[in-house]
Amino acid sequence: MRFRFCGDLDCPDWVLAEISTLAKISSVKLKLICAQVLRDLLGEAIEYEKILKLTSDAKLESGDVKATIAVLSFILSSAAKHNVDSESLSSELQQLGLPKEHASGLCRSYEEKQSSLQDRLKACSLRLSRLGSVCWRVDYILSSSELQDVNEPLVHLTFNVQDRVRGGTAAVPVTLSADKFRVLLSELKQAQALMNTLL
Amino acid sequence: MLLVLSEEQKAHLGFLPRAGGAAVGELGRLAVELLRRGAAPRACEAAARKLNIDVDTVQHGVEGLSYLLTESSKLMISEIDFQESIQVLGFSDELNQLLLQLYLDNRKEIRSILSELAPKLPSYHSLEWRLDVQLASRSLRQQIKPAVTLKLHLNQNEDQTAQVLQTDPSTLLHLIQQLEQALGEMKTNHCRRIVRNMK
Repeated sequence: MRFRFCGDLDCPDWVLAEISTLAKISSVKLKLICAQVLRDLLGEAIEYEKILKLTSDAKLESGDVKATIAVLSFILSSAAKHNVDSESLSSELQQLGLPKEHASGLCRSYEEKQSSLQDRLKACSLRLSRLGSVCWRVDYILSSSELQDVNEPLVHLTFNVQDRVRGGTAAVPVTLSADKFRVLLSELKQAQALMNTLL
Repeated sequence: MLLVLSEEQKAHLGFLPRAGGAAVGELGRLAVELLRRGAAPRACEAAARKLNIDVDTVQHGVEGLSYLLTESSKLMISEIDFQESIQVLGFSDELNQLLLQLYLDNRKEIRSILSELAPKLPSYHSLEWRLDVQLASRSLRQQIKPAVTLKLHLNQNEDQTAQVLQTDPSTLLHLIQQLEQALGEMKTNHCRRIVRNMK
């Protein structure tokens, strides 16, 4: 059976197995646990003690609690990844055996946070490096050991690049004469025009 | 398969009969701790004071016992072979029984410690990927060049490294095909026969 929230593939066996564990928790408590899992997916701290308190009624063992968090994490992030709307998610979860109230509670939580989840996933996507900031300075060379009257302007640029591969920020200093700088600027403006045609 | 003990080791273990049963138990415990956590000179000194024996003798005794235990566990020798190997030391039956019990009790744990000492290659941890299309460059406009960027996270002895790779889609398809062929090898008769014999 192909499911949209699994990317048009079969649902993983472990997810199928844990759906029955989810059904043991009441639907109200499940919605609250979803809210906690969404906080974790959005990068805020997860409050594990709250989840433990919510699952204590269903008398789940610690392994089951972790499995619940894992399966909710998977369902929510996978649905956001494949841009599944909340009605389709609800019907697919019911096909897997999740009771109707649980599925609709889960999907309501999902619908509220769907766009922020997708923004967060976009920000976490693979990036090799990122430009942090650019600093510049213009100097005027008066004279040098080679020539007495130089009278030329000079641009110093420092690119602060965040290296995503190894972590950390590297500063790349570049010095350009006025002509070279004009060439650089016009090329970058052409690239910017191309980017604007795509937006 | 018999264990062969060098003269030095026989000398190290030689003082055990004089020390008595309780001392042997204590030294056995120290030997297992040595294998679990590494050298503990203070524990040896404490044992030496408690048993009223010279520190060096205690140290040598512990080392001799740990060698006896590691070699026996490594080779997984049977009880009879173990008893025959230590008979050469000329100990009393009671002491032999003590040593045999020490070996059998700790064999499994020592084997699991020894299995972690084998050299390991970097192993797969996770894979991030990204699909881009190059639309234009400084030298050529109106291009369409798709590329897949991969970041392979590897684990080696608790060291995390990341390898960045880039490929075009046709090479990626070829890579997938090769890996599927490799997985398919497991289903051939040759592999099946070997796996059956290993079980």
